[in-house]
Amino acid sequence: MSNDHPDQPKTPVVPETVPNAGRRGFLKGAATGAAALAVSPVAKAQQPSSYQASFTAPSYQQIQRDTGLVEPPTEDRSVVRPGSDLMVQALKDMGIEFVASNNGSSFEGIQESIANYGTPPNHMPEYITALHEESSVDMANGYAKAEGKPMAAMLHGTLGIQHASMAIFQAYNTGTPMILIVGRDEGFIQAHTANDMVGMIRSFTKWDSHPKTLPGCIDALHEAYRQAVTPPTGPTVIVIDMELQKEEARDFQVPPFRPAKIGGVDNATARDIARALFNANNPRLKTGMFRTPDGVQAAVQLAELIGASASTTAMGGPMGFPQRHPLCGPGADTSYDYELGLESGSANISLRRPGITSLTAERDVMGIGFGSLRADYVAAPPGSEPTPGSQNQQQNRGTVLTVDAEASIPLIIAELSKLVTPAKQAEIERRNARHASANREDFLTNLRAAVEEKKKGWDLSPVSTARLYAELWPLIMNEDWCLASPSNFSGAHHRELWEHNKPYSFLGGQGAGGMGYGLGASTGAALAARGRGRFVVNVQCDGDLNYAPGALWTACHHDLPMLSVMHNNRAWHQEFMFIQYLAGVRGRGTDRGHIGTVLRDPFIDYAKMAQSYGMQSEGPIEDPNLLAAALERGVESVKNGKPYLIDVITQPR
Amino acid sequence: MRTQLIRCIALLLGVAATAANAQQLGPVDGDAIAGAQLYYDHGCYACHGFSGYGRKDLNNTGSPWLANEEIFRAFLRFRNDVAPLLPATDMPNYPANALNDAMVSDIYAYVRSMPDNRPETADVPTLRTILEAAEQRQYKP
Repeated sequence: MSNDHPDQPKTPVVPETVPNAGRRGFLKGAATGAAALAVSPVAKAQQPSSYQASFTAPSYQQIQRDTGLVEPPTEDRSVVRPGSDLMVQALKDMGIEFVASNNGSSFEGIQESIANYGTPPNHMPEYITALHEESSVDMANGYAKAEGKPMAAMLHGTLGIQHASMAIFQAYNTGTPMILIVGRDEGFIQAHTANDMVGMIRSFTKWDSHPKTLPGCIDALHEAYRQAVTPPTGPTVIVIDMELQKEEARDFQVPPFRPAKIGGVDNATARDIARALFNANNPRLKTGMFRTPDGVQAAVQLAELIGASASTTAMGGPMGFPQRHPLCGPGADTSYDYELGLESGSANISLRRPGITSLTAERDVMGIGFGSLRADYVAAPPGSEPTPGSQNQQQNRGTVLTVDAEASIPLIIAELSKLVTPAKQAEIERRNARHASANREDFLTNLRAAVEEKKKGWDLSPVSTARLYAELWPLIMNEDWCLASPSNFSGAHHRELWEHNKPYSFLGGQGAGGMGYGLGASTGAALAARGRGRFVVNVQCDGDLNYAPGALWTACHHDLPMLSVMHNNRAWHQEFMFIQYLAGVRGRGTDRGHIGTVLRDPFIDYAKMAQSYGMQSEGPIEDPNLLAAALERGVESVKNGKPYLIDVITQPR
Repeated sequence: MRTQLIRCIALLLGVAATAANAQQLGPVDGDAIAGAQLYYDHGCYACHGFSGYGRKDLNNTGSPWLANEEIFRAFLRFRNDVAPLLPATDMPNYPANALNDAMVSDIYAYVRSMPDNRPETADVPTLRTILEAAEQRQYKP
């Protein structure tokens, strides 16, 4: 065996920049670092308090006490080529960029391999330190919505699964592909281990496996990826025993990864659709959310090829037809004589991948878990603000072919290309020009009306939610931006004021409407953005932030380009209104609706919260005239690679 | 009884609509400052914003329910969803034991005092920029 083989464990190397990795050297370095940090206000906040300065490492006895006399198993076994290195190699082969995790002993083999295996180590995948498993999975959710491909999250045994379960449930509801790796260590703490680890989340995951051999584990990782990205897409789970992670792999070679093959319509159907589009005088594409950016690009190509106007869902979630493409809009004439649905509902014919809930009944064979309570429930497309009822009504109209649109479009384009003659081409170009003119005017008319609407209460304090979005837009419109947070609670004013032209312009809602999602998902989107020159905006609800604020630290620790702007209405405001209404219905008045629903006495200082996690921040800002300058500072910070938070006190809605 | 009430409300609606259309708003008798406190304490801001712009605007709506204090009071009183006499929406009902007539009067005064805050678009650089940029920008893949 050659030492240069990529599967080989690397020789332990002490980084040149750390001359002494011993404890004494570490403390010395920390002291020097603290002195250097003293120059900035943020750093000032990070200086150790007198309590911290007097802190000494816990004794062995203390550790024993704090951990309930539990210790990780000690093994003298040393292996040359640990199984976990091969698992990491499989992740590399699949193009997994990141593995987010809150560390746990049941996957320490894999964690160590990520840290040390490969050249360079800790790259593709990079280990992303999360402070809560819910954040890990939300990050994977945000990343996949932005990129249309999975990243991975590792969960520590039964505990990690339970911490992550809400975020997994949300991802399942949006059909977000992700790979969840659950560590299992039978010899450690019994409560952290189960025979059927996935049992408690099986009804809201797509697929799972618990391989018993190392080759089986590599196969399962490959299959987990294929299953996650194959419609109906969704979270997949693989349980990996510690024994396999530490196993000596000897001469076992990781087999090549075979990507998923996702089928489209058959050739005859593609030909029929192409002919119908060709013969139509005013064809229309009704587009929804595609699986990946390739699907968006293919839809654009098809629209341009035949001169069809196109609808879009880009203002409601990711992977939609670009909003300001000249063909996007109602077009020059709204009496369409042929409509092709692409991941959309009512049309002459719709190509639509199956909904993930079709799996629920099959997976929920024991009747355990949430299951699907309503037979007519149809999940919202990935990332969209969920409106299951209306989706279902739409599905009942027109002819729906349950087949992936993204895989079908290239076949339709190929057939259509055969039909287009020079004469037809000239007609298509004239149609394209008419549509472009009409769509531009339609967009501008709607925008002018929106501006008139959004300026209501412009100068009032607290800041109107419309002004928050309006002030942001000129600062980011020339950036490659991504709005990663849900926006319904903050008024969703971007839908009318901003231009959603990229597959990742807006990543949509939580999935299951669960709180605590916004920051984690935005952090995941920022992971995707970091190496791509992209800029992530997170309009962060205050109630939502308090569930898992630790992702603020993750964003700082990994230098993520994320601007968080608080929609701080100092309440779980939706519930506040619900309680008021109920009290009103009962004739009891609404003066006690705040009990249990508002965040006051005391107010929470989110700027200080961010600072405590190491993030630059400012606020609270109540004067709307101070907002634009603060946003400018935030944008500048993020463009320089440093996440930033601005606490804005807003109108409730 | 119910039919009479509905007729009465229909009459109120007619009067209110006429008054609103003619911009003939009734007099204000209450204390707007006291009304502002009541507006906050009773959580009116939850839906209507701290100054009348929110999920459901109060300002500049021309709503017939704001035509005068009597109509406003009737609007608050007859919303009980148990037996709705007015169209049931998500607006709570306010019987007299929740908001007495004096309180209603003060809240009405506060609502009527809310400033119109809609600047001219041309006077707001941000809004001008949004419109001008949209005119000039070309789509780039």
